[in-house]
Amino acid sequence: MKTPVSVSRLPRGPDPNSRGFDPSSPRYIALCHTTGTDAVHVEEEQRLRTELRERFLRSLILMSNKEVYFSMYERVQVQAKFGASDIDILNFQVSDLQTPLGVQKEAILRCQDIISYSFDL
Amino acid sequence: MAMRQTPLTCSGHTRPVVDLAFSGITPYGYFLISACKDGKPMLRQGDTGDWIGTFLGHKGAVWGATLNKEATKAATAAADFTAKVWDAVSGDEILSLAHKHIVKSVNFTQDSNCLLTGGNDKVLRIYDLSKPEAEPQEIAGHTSAIKKALWCNNDQQILSASEDKTIRLWDRNTKEAVKTLSFEASVSSMEYIADGEILVITYGRTIAFYNAHSLDLIKTVDAPASIHSASLHPDKDFFVAGGDDFKLYKYDYSTKEEMESYKGHFGPVHCVRFSPDGELYASGSEDGTLRLWQTAVGKTYGLWKCVLPEELSSENSDALYCPPPEIKA
Repeated sequence: MKTPVSVSRLPRGPDPNSRGFDPSSPRYIALCHTTGTDAVHVEEEQRLRTELRERFLRSLILMSNKEVYFSMYERVQVQAKFGASDIDILNFQVSDLQTPLGVQKEAILRCQDIISYSFDL
Repeated sequence: MAMRQTPLTCSGHTRPVVDLAFSGITPYGYFLISACKDGKPMLRQGDTGDWIGTFLGHKGAVWGATLNKEATKAATAAADFTAKVWDAVSGDEILSLAHKHIVKSVNFTQDSNCLLTGGNDKVLRIYDLSKPEAEPQEIAGHTSAIKKALWCNNDQQILSASEDKTIRLWDRNTKEAVKTLSFEASVSSMEYIADGEILVITYGRTIAFYNAHSLDLIKTVDAPASIHSASLHPDKDFFVAGGDDFKLYKYDYSTKEEMESYKGHFGPVHCVRFSPDGELYASGSEDGTLRLWQTAVGKTYGLWKCVLPEELSSENSDALYCPPPEIKA
C-alpha cells in the first residue's frame, strides 16, 4: 500500500467572527492606500473619533427621563420616556411608550429598528 | 517510493463551489478565488489554501469569480443580476455593475482596465473601469445564455461559450464574430492559455484543445465520465479534468493517456484549474469544498512535506500530520 503524502498542517479555514483581509498582513500594509497611514493622520482621526463618541455618550445621559420621539421602520413613529441604553447600544429601555395600540408602561426598543430619534434639551 | 496523493481540503463554503480562478504570481505568492452558490466568494492563499477573506455583498449565488494578474482586484458574477469589482487586498466592494439578468462570467484584461461580463441576457459587455459611470460596450449575437466569456489574443479578441451550443470568437473593436464553433452539446467549460494560444473546452465526456487564433482543432480526449471542467498544465505536459463521477483525472497531453485518477470529492467536480506555477491544481465541487492536489505527488511544496521513511517513525514526526486512509461513505 502506498504511503500517503504528509502535510505539515491543514489549510486554515475562515474566521467565524470576521470577513478577513487582515490589516496587519504584509500585503495589506504594503498595498492598501489608506488615507493617513502616517502617525499624524491616525492620531488626528482618533482624536476626532474620541470626541464624537464622548458627545454621543453624553447625549444618552442627557436623554434620561426625557420624552423622546422615535422614527422606526415601516413608517412607525412612537414617543416614550427614555430610561437607559445597554452597553453595546443595542437596546433602549423606555417607559410609557405611546403606541397606536395604547400606552406600554415599560418596553425595550431594539436599536436596529430605530432610524432616528429626537428630544428637546 | 510511490506515494499516495493527499488532497488538501479547504472548507468554509456552505454550498456548491461552481467556479474558481488563480491570480498570477505576485510578490506575495499567488491567490485563489472561489465562487459559491452561498453568495460569499472567498479569497485564499494559492499555495496553502489558507483563507484570507470573504467578499461580502452579493445577494444571490455567485456563478463566476476572477482575479486580476496582480491579485489586487477581484470580480464576481452573481444571480443577483450584478457583477461586482472588489479590492482584493482590503476586501471592499469597489463597483457594482447592474445587469438585466443573472451574470455568469467575469474576466479582466491584462492591464485590469476593462472588465468583460456575460450571462443569461445573452449579451457580452465591456466595462471601462476607469469610467464606471459610462455605458458598457455591448456585443450581441448569442441566442442563448452565455456561460463563459474570456479575453484572448492580447485582449484584442473575445471568446464566449453559450448554451446555444456555440463558441464564438469576436473582434473587440468591430464587435463582429470572427469565427464560430458549433457543438452537439452545450460546452461545460472553457480555459484560455495565452502562452501557446490554446483553448481548452469540455463538453459531454470530451476534453478538446483548439488553437485560440484559428479555432482549429488540435486534439480531443474522451474521459470515463461526463466532464465539467479541465485545465492544461503551464508546461503543456499534462492536463486535469473533473466531472460527474466526483474524480479528478490526470492525462498526459502528448499521448492522451490517462495517468492517474483521484477520489476525494463527495460530489460532482464543477471546476478545476492549475496554479500559475503548475505545482498544484485546485478543484471545486458540489460538496462545497475546494481541494488542492499536487502535480508532483510527494514533493515538498506549500503544506505538503516530502518525508523520508526514517523520519516518519522518529521523534521528529510530531510536527507532521499523516492523514489516515479516507473513509468512504
